[in-house]
Amino acid sequence: MSTNLIQNYIASKNVPAQTAPKKPMPDFNIQRELDNRTFIKPLNGKGKLVNGNIFMAPQQMISGLGYNLRALKHAASGCANDHELGKINDIGLVGGGAAIASYLATKRFTPMTKGMEFVGFGAFLASMALWPKLAIQLPAYLIHGVNVQKQYQDSFGRKKPFYQDPQFIPWDLYTDEQIQKIGDRMGVDKNMLNRRDFIQEKMRKLAVQNNTLWMMTAGFATPVMTALACDTLKPYLEKRSNNITNKKADKILQNIDKHSEKYKSQTIENKLKELIREYNGKQIDDKLTTSIYEIFTEDIDAVTSESLKKDLKKILDNDKFSINESTAKNISKNLKNMLEKKNYSTEFIEAAIPSEEEFVNLFKNSDYIKETQKVDFQKLKNIISREIDTRISNFNSAHPAAKEDAKAIRAFIFGKQSKINPLIKELTSFKSAIFDSAVTEKLINAAKIFDDFRAHKLALDEYALLKVGAAPETVIANYWNNVSGDLLKNLHITNKELEKVRFDRNLVGKLLREKIEAIASNDASYNKFMTTLVEKVASLNSQIKSSDITSDLLNSQTEKTTYEKAVDTVFDKFASSMREKGFSKTASALAGNGSDEFGTAKAIQKAYAKERLLGVKCSFYRLINALDFYRRVATDPNKFKPYNDQLPREVLEELIELCKIDTLSGHSSDQATKFYMLRNPNPERDFSPLEVENGKIKNKFYGKAKYGTTDIPGDKTFYQHAMKFMFEDDMHPDTKSILEKSILKDEISNYRKQILEKIGGQDYFWKPRHRVRPKNNTGSDIKFLLTGIAPDELIFKRGQQAFNSGKWFRIFGGFGAGLLGVTVLTQFFLGKLKPVEVKK
Amino acid sequence: MILPVSSVNKNINFSADKSENKALEYNHDTVLKNNPVNKAKIGLDKFVNAFTVYPAKGFKGSKNANFYEFLTMGTVPYLIGSGMMMAVFNSASKHYAPFDRVMARSIGNKLSLGVLFYGIMKNLSKSFVSQPVKMLTGVDIEQPYAKVIYELPDDINDTDITSIEHHKVFESVEFPRWDLLYGDESKGEKRNYKYDKIAKRLGMGENLKDSDQEVKPRIKEIVVKANLAKNISSYLWAAAGVALAAQEPWDNFFNVMTLKFWKGKEFKKTLQSFGENFIKSAKSLWQGEGKGITKQGGKILLGLAALSSILGVLNAVTSTHTPSKTKAKDVINQNEKYVVN
Repeated sequence: MSTNLIQNYIASKNVPAQTAPKKPMPDFNIQRELDNRTFIKPLNGKGKLVNGNIFMAPQQMISGLGYNLRALKHAASGCANDHELGKINDIGLVGGGAAIASYLATKRFTPMTKGMEFVGFGAFLASMALWPKLAIQLPAYLIHGVNVQKQYQDSFGRKKPFYQDPQFIPWDLYTDEQIQKIGDRMGVDKNMLNRRDFIQEKMRKLAVQNNTLWMMTAGFATPVMTALACDTLKPYLEKRSNNITNKKADKILQNIDKHSEKYKSQTIENKLKELIREYNGKQIDDKLTTSIYEIFTEDIDAVTSESLKKDLKKILDNDKFSINESTAKNISKNLKNMLEKKNYSTEFIEAAIPSEEEFVNLFKNSDYIKETQKVDFQKLKNIISREIDTRISNFNSAHPAAKEDAKAIRAFIFGKQSKINPLIKELTSFKSAIFDSAVTEKLINAAKIFDDFRAHKLALDEYALLKVGAAPETVIANYWNNVSGDLLKNLHITNKELEKVRFDRNLVGKLLREKIEAIASNDASYNKFMTTLVEKVASLNSQIKSSDITSDLLNSQTEKTTYEKAVDTVFDKFASSMREKGFSKTASALAGNGSDEFGTAKAIQKAYAKERLLGVKCSFYRLINALDFYRRVATDPNKFKPYNDQLPREVLEELIELCKIDTLSGHSSDQATKFYMLRNPNPERDFSPLEVENGKIKNKFYGKAKYGTTDIPGDKTFYQHAMKFMFEDDMHPDTKSILEKSILKDEISNYRKQILEKIGGQDYFWKPRHRVRPKNNTGSDIKFLLTGIAPDELIFKRGQQAFNSGKWFRIFGGFGAGLLGVTVLTQFFLGKLKPVEVKK
Repeated sequence: MILPVSSVNKNINFSADKSENKALEYNHDTVLKNNPVNKAKIGLDKFVNAFTVYPAKGFKGSKNANFYEFLTMGTVPYLIGSGMMMAVFNSASKHYAPFDRVMARSIGNKLSLGVLFYGIMKNLSKSFVSQPVKMLTGVDIEQPYAKVIYELPDDINDTDITSIEHHKVFESVEFPRWDLLYGDESKGEKRNYKYDKIAKRLGMGENLKDSDQEVKPRIKEIVVKANLAKNISSYLWAAAGVALAAQEPWDNFFNVMTLKFWKGKEFKKTLQSFGENFIKSAKSLWQGEGKGITKQGGKILLGLAALSSILGVLNAVTSTHTPSKTKAKDVINQNEKYVVN
C-alpha cells in the first residue's frame, strides 16, 4: 500500500479541527435589500470608439484645444489627472515652438522671412501629426483593414489611443460584428475556433508593430516633411506676399498724409526743446550752434545740409559781440602774461600794461562796455595801443637805464594773427546773440515744418523701397526672381548641366549660347519661348504701372507720374513754407527754383525710382534683343548688310561672332574702354554667302586664320557694323509679331534707340572715334543701366541659386520618398499570425 | 514535500532552471537614489533599450510589449529627428558655390547648434523646477524606482521572463507608488518616516499620528503643479537655447571649431572659443540689436522662461488645498449613478 503524503502531512501538522465559519451577516436578507434598493452594482461603462478619418484631424485639433485649456487650469490648481497632465506637454510644445518662431522672426528683416519662421513651425507641427496618419495609419488600413491609430473615449470623456497600452486594450468597445468584419477583411478563416480572440490578437500585433514603425520613422520623416512643406509653400506665399507689398505701396501714395503720420516722431522739435531747456536765455556760443546744426541736418544730404547751415546761421548769429568788465580785466591779464613769458621785468609790465581796473575804466571812458561789432575792434585796438605807448614812454622817461622799445612791444602784442591774438580772442569770446524766445520761436517753427517734411519724405522713401528698392522682397526684386527663375526652366537648363558649369561664368555662357541657338533655330520653340518671355517681362508693367513710376528714357509719356506728382507736392510745399520762414537757401537746395530742379534733393528723389526701374527693364529687354539677334542669324544670316559696302565672308563671320559674344556677355565697361576682337588682319577675299545650321554659323574662315589674329583698332566701321546689326537693323518678323501684341513694343523700340544714341555716342565707344551716333555727355550711370546685366551673368547667378535649391530638393525629396516607400512596404510584412493548430 | 505557493514570497521566480537565471539587479520594485550616477545609468539603460530591445519586441508584435516601452521608444524620434534637422540644414551646402556655401553654413551651423541647445536646455531646465520644489517641500517629483516585470513566456523554451523598467514614483498622480515610500520596519525603519519628513517640511507638524494620510493629498497637489511648471518652462528654456544659438558671435566659433578631440591644441582652442562665444552670445541675446521688439526679443524670451520656472515653483509650494465644505455623508449623491471603468 502506497503512502498517502497528504494524510501524513495533515497528521504531522496536527491540523486543528475545522469549524464552520461564523456567518458574517446573520440577519442579511437579500430580498429585503433588493426591495430597499440599497444593493449597488457597477453600471455599464460609457466608453465608446471615436469614429472619424484623417481629414477630421484639424477639427479634432480645435476641439482638443478646449480640453487642453481646461487641463491647464486644472493643473495650475493642482487637481489635474494623468490624462490632463499629458496634454500639458502638447501645450508646452506649441508654446515653446511659437516662442522660437517669434524670436527668430525678430532676427529676420523681411515680411516673407519673418513669416516663414511661423510657417516652418506650423509645418513642423503638421508633419508630426500627419506622418503617422499618412504613412502608417492610412496604408495599414488600406492593406489590413485595421485602423491602428483608433481612438476611444473613456467613461470620463477622455480620448485615448485604443492601442496605447497593449496590455490594456478595451476590446469590449468593439462589437462582435465589427471585429468579425475586420477579421473578414484580414482574411481570417471564418470557421476558426475562438475567431474573435484570434482577430483581436492579430489587430493587437499589427498595432504594436505599427506603433514601433512610427517611432522608428518619425525622427527621419518629420524634419524632412517640414522642410519639403516649407519649400512647396514658399512660392505661393511669395506670390501672396508680393501682392500685399504692392498694395501696401499703392496705399501710401493714395493718402500720403495719413501714411506719414507713423513717421511723425517730432524728432527735431523734441530735441530742440531739450536744447532750449538747457540753453534758454544764454548766449549762443559755438557749442550750441553746432548742436543746432546737428539736430537739423541729421539724415540730410551734404549739399542741403550746407544750405541749411547758412540759413540757420542767419538766425543764430548777429555778428555782434558782448564786451563787459570781465573782458577788460581778462585783456589786462592776458597782456601781462604775454610779456612775462618774454621775460620783461615785473616793474616794466606793471608800468606799461594798465591794471584790470584801469582797463575797465579805459573801456568805460571810451564807451566800449556794450554790444559791438567786429568793425569796431580796430578803434578799440588803437585806444589800447595809444595807452600802452604813453605808458611805455612814461616808463622810459622815468627809467632811462631800463628803456624798452615801444614799437617792438606793440608789434609783439598786436602783430599776431587774429585767432590767437589775445586781444581779439578775448573780444570775440562772447557773442552777443542770446538764445531767447525770438530765436527759439523761429527754430521751433522751422523744426515743425522739417518734421512734417521728413515724415512725408520717409513715406515717399518707403513707397520707392517697396516698389523698386534694391532690397529683398520688393516688388521689383520679386519680379526679377520670378522672371529669371522661369528663364532657367524655359531654356531647359537641367540641374545636371548646371552641376558641370555652375562655378564658371564662361562655361555657363557657352551653355546658354547653345540653348539659345537651339531655340532660335526652331520656329515653334522660338515663338513659344519669346512669347512666354515677353509676357513674363511685361508683367512688371502691370505691377508697377507707367502712370506710377516710369523711366523717361524708355517711355515717351510727357505727363508726370503719380510718384513724381507726390514728390513735387511734398518738396514744393516744404520749400514754400521754408522760404516764408527765411530758409531760402535750404528751399532752393531741396526743391530748386521754379522749374529748375537740376541737382536738387527733389530731382534725386525722383531719379532713384526711375533709374532702378530702368536698370531692371533694360536687363530683360537686352535678353529679348539678344534672342532676336540669334533668331535673325539662325534664319537668314545673309540679311545682315553693312552700311555701305560688301564685306568679305570672313569679316562677316567675325562680325556675327562679335555680336553673339556681346549680346550675351558684354559689360558696360567693355563698351566704355577697349573692346578686343581678335581678327584676321588679312581676310580672305571670299564673298560667298554665310551658311547656318541649327542656329550656328558654319564658319568657313573664322578661327582658321593662317597667320594668327589680332585686334584691329583702326577699322572704324567694324564696330559700327556690329552696333547696326544688333540694335539698328529691323527685328525678326517673328519677334515683331510677338511684340506687336505686347505693351513692351514701344519700350523695346526706345531701348534699342537709346543704346545706339547713348552707348553708340560715347566719346570712347569701343574704340576712340568709332562712334555710331553724335557724341553725347550721358553719365556713366545711365550707360550702365542701359547695358543692364549680361544674360550669361544673369543665368550664372540664378543658376547657382537654382542648383542649390534643386540639389537640396533632390537629396531630401528623394530621401522622403524613399522613406515613405519603405514605410508603406513594411506594412506587407506586418500582422502575420499563425492560427493555433488544434490537435484532434 | 510540496510547499504552499505564496505571493508573499518576494523571491518568486518562474524560471524553469535556476542555473539559467538572469542576474537581475533587483528582485522587487526598489526606490533608487535620485543622484547623477543613477540618472546616468537609467538614461543609458533606456537609451540602449529604446534603440535595441524595444524596437525588436515591437516589430515582432510581442505580447509583452507595453506602454512603457512605447514611451521609452519616444527617445528615438527625438534623437534621430535632431540629427535629421542638422542634416537638413547642412548636408546640401557642401555642393554649393563657395560664397553660397559660407552663407548657408553660417545659418546651418547656428540652426544645428540651436537643435543641440534645445535638447540640453529642455532637459537641464527641468531641474530649475524639480530641485527648488524638492528643497522647499521634500517632495522629489523625479524620484526613480526600478520596477521588476514578469512577462509571459514567448514559447515553451522561453525562460527569460523578467526585466527591469525604470519608472518614477510620481509618474502617475492618480496612482502614485505610495507603497514604495513606506519604511521597512524589519530593518528598523519607521513606517512613515518619509512622510514624516515631508509633513515637517511642509509645516504640517511633527509626530503626526498618520502623516502618510495627512500629506498624500498635499503631495499630489505638489506633483501636479510642479509637473505643469516643469513642462511649460522646459519648452520656454529650450526656446531660449535656440535663441542663444542664433546669435552672431557663434560665427567666430564655427570658424575655428573642430571635433577632432585627438588634436589636443586645436580642440583646446575650440573649447576656449566655445566658452568665449557662449558669453558673447549670451550678452548679445540679452542686449539685442535694433529697436523695439527686435531689441527686446531676447530679454522677453529669457524673462518668460525664468518667470515660468519661478511662478511654477511658487505655485507648487503654495497650497490651494482648502478643507472641503461637503460633509462626508454627502460625498456620494444617492440620486446619481456612478461608474468605475
